[in-house]
Order: sequence, then C-alpha cells, then structure tokens
Amino acid sequence: MKPWDAHEVSQLNELKVDNSGLVFVAGWLAQGNIVMVEQMPIFGGYAGGIEETAICDVATTLASFSILSGSYHLDGPIHIRWGITTARETLQIAAHAAAAIDANTHLLIANQYYPVAGPCTEMCLLETAAQAITDTASGRELLSGSASAKGVALNYTTGMEARIMGESAVAVAGMKVEEVNKILEKLVSGYEKNYAKAPKGKSFPECYDVRSVTPSAEYLEIYAKAVKTLKGLGVPMKE
Amino acid sequence: MTAKRPVDVLEAYNRSKKGPKVAEKVWDYEIIPTSAAALKAKYKLNFGRQIIPTDKSTMNNLFLAGLEMLVETGIHNCDTGRVIKVTEEEVKEGIKRAPKELTLGTNRDAVKMVPRKGNSSAKPIIQGGPTGAPVSEDVFIPMFQSYAQEAIVDTIVNGVMATFEGNDVKTNTPWEIKATLGEIRAIKEATRRAGRPGMGI
Repeated sequence: MKPWDAHEVSQLNELKVDNSGLVFVAGWLAQGNIVMVEQMPIFGGYAGGIEETAICDVATTLASFSILSGSYHLDGPIHIRWGITTARETLQIAAHAAAAIDANTHLLIANQYYPVAGPCTEMCLLETAAQAITDTASGRELLSGSASAKGVALNYTTGMEARIMGESAVAVAGMKVEEVNKILEKLVSGYEKNYAKAPKGKSFPECYDVRSVTPSAEYLEIYAKAVKTLKGLGVPMKE
Repeated sequence: MTAKRPVDVLEAYNRSKKGPKVAEKVWDYEIIPTSAAALKAKYKLNFGRQIIPTDKSTMNNLFLAGLEMLVETGIHNCDTGRVIKVTEEEVKEGIKRAPKELTLGTNRDAVKMVPRKGNSSAKPIIQGGPTGAPVSEDVFIPMFQSYAQEAIVDTIVNGVMATFEGNDVKTNTPWEIKATLGEIRAIKEATRRAGRPGMGI
C-alpha cells in the first residue's frame, strides 16, 4: 500500500466497534494513512424502519469521524430481506443520510453497491444506475462498486457495471433534485417487483474475453439497451 | 461548553474500559431500536415516498436526530462490553478535524476528493471493483483490469481473493495476511496493465 491508497476498517451493526478496529486505526494514523471507515446499516434490522435506520446511519457516519478518525465514510444501507443496496427503501435511507450530512458538514462521504441481479443483465445495470443517480444527486463524493449478484457469487462482477455507475452519475450531476426524483420513481418502479426472480447473470469469464480483457458483444448489446432505457426515462446519458 | 480536545482511538479505547457496562443483546434489541424510534418521533421524521429529500428542514432534523443518537447512546465496544460516550462538542471537534479534501492515487492518475455540496455538476469519484465480492485467483488480475481500463473509473476498490495458492483464506489465520498482500500486488499489476499505475486503491 502507498500513502495515496486508503485503508478500510468497519464499524459493526449498529453503532458498535471492536478492539481490532481500534488497533488497526491506531496503526494507520501513526503512519499518516488515509482511513476509510465502512458501515452498512441494515434496513429492517436492529434500528427498524426507514427513518430509524437513516437516523442510525447519520449517527454512524458521525462516529466514523469523531471516534475513529476516518478520512472518509463508506456507507451502504442494506435491505434485510434482499441483501441489496438498490431497493427503494435503502436508496431512501442513503439519500436522506447523505443530504443531512452534506447540508450540515463538509464531511467526505461515499456509498457502496450491492444490486440483486448479476452481470450481463439489464436489471443489474438499471439497479446500479438507480443507486448512482441517487448517490450523486444527494451529494456524495465517491461511488464504490459494484458487488453485482449481491456480492456473494464467485466471479460475478465486472468492469461494465462500474461503467454504468460512472456514466449515469455524470449524466445527472447538476440536475435539479426534483427532476432526479421523478426519474428515480420510474426507474425503481421498473425493477423493484422482480427481486425474487432476479437473474444471476453471467460470470466474468462468460462476460469477457479474459485474455484480451474485452467485454462480449452480448454484454455490449445489453449495455446499449440499458442506456436506451435510461434515456427513455429522462437520464441524459452520453454515447 | 467547548470540548477539551477531540477524541482519538486511544481515548475511545480508554473510555470503552470505563464506560457503562451494557450486554450486547440489550444494546442490539433494546437501546438501538428504542433510541431510533424516540428520535424519529421527537424530530417528526417521515420521508414519504420521496427518495432524495428536497426540503432543508428534513435534512436538518435528520442531522440533529443522528447527532443526538450518537451523543445519547454512544458506541458499543463488543470486546469490553462497555459504551464509549462522547459529547456533542467532541463530535463537532471530530467533524472540524476531518479532512476537507483528499488526494487518491498519484501522478497523472491522482484524483481529488472534495465536498460536492448538493447535486453539484462536479462528477463524484468513481471507484470501480467488486466491493468485497469473491474473486478466484485465476481471473483476479484481468477482472481488476476490466475496472482499471474503464475511462470513467478513477480508483479501485478491492474484492476478496477466494483462495491463495489454492489455500482457503480464513479470518484469523496466517493465510489472511498472505492473501491480502497478494490481492494488493495483483490489483497494482492490473492498474499497470491498464496503463494507470498511479491509481489509488
């Protein structure tokens, strides 16, 4: 690791730490390292519903800086039933927590991505775009992803999901939040009924020529279809 | 009253030796839900269907509720079974002390992380990677190259190498250290292959 890389430590759910986390941070701070403090509040978990989890999320974010000396905070509100960050409820929690922190502090905040669908599916790309649009318009500084297929299947993540995350973020940066909310309403409504039958998609070696690191024609076509869908919903995606 | 000094991890540890003793189950099932529900009622928070808030009072009330939750409940240290308590002034000192900008990466691959403030037209930093998802050893480098070569991606986030030299990588075993160092070397190699050797990870 170099001085320009970031070291990651996690808080525990909810509002908990352990000694090993404190020890890691003590070591990194002694070397002047960048410290990223991570925590994924659980919607439907110990805190409870949407507003309760958002309150806990703000408290957790503040703890990252005031107790753990974080350089930036990596959020990730996650749905207890689906294990994803792209659900309407978890997007609401993340957006409200980010806007609350952004409006009242200069703190640097990030969010991480766990869509239910896997690579080489339009659903995965649209879920990822929905979160990127939410995170960007609610004032976050860094988007970190994506752990497609809920981040649990071996090799079910690829660079194409990061492409849609970045391109959709750029497309909405600067847009009026009222307009963004209208887009999100349509976008999230389009996939949120499909969690139970979400496609697992294809693995990295099925999505890319591994030797030349080139995405397949099939994935490029699905990507183009997702971009067309986003444009149809009012997201000014660039070609 | 102003804070004597900001809290650091050493002071946090000292407080977690002397703070109130609370069983973890009580913390999880009583203190956290009770505190969150009471603050939701106190600050009259109701988000409705709106995904991103547009009114300042909701943002400010949520901030005050979160600040109050941290100050009133504190944070639990599972190893000592005690609560680290902080004052509002100490939290505010911690905010003041936090970086106002960061540089991730170096040379031509460096990116600056600065507050965007609302939905600024400034692009957020795009950190590409599997975000902790498992990746097999044989495709680890090309998979990370697939992120590093994306023009829109600024920095890299790690995944978990599922095995290392064929060995299971379990927490609290020497293989955890070996695999972590192997992951870092492999990611650096992937960024080099993508022509972006200075990317931050």
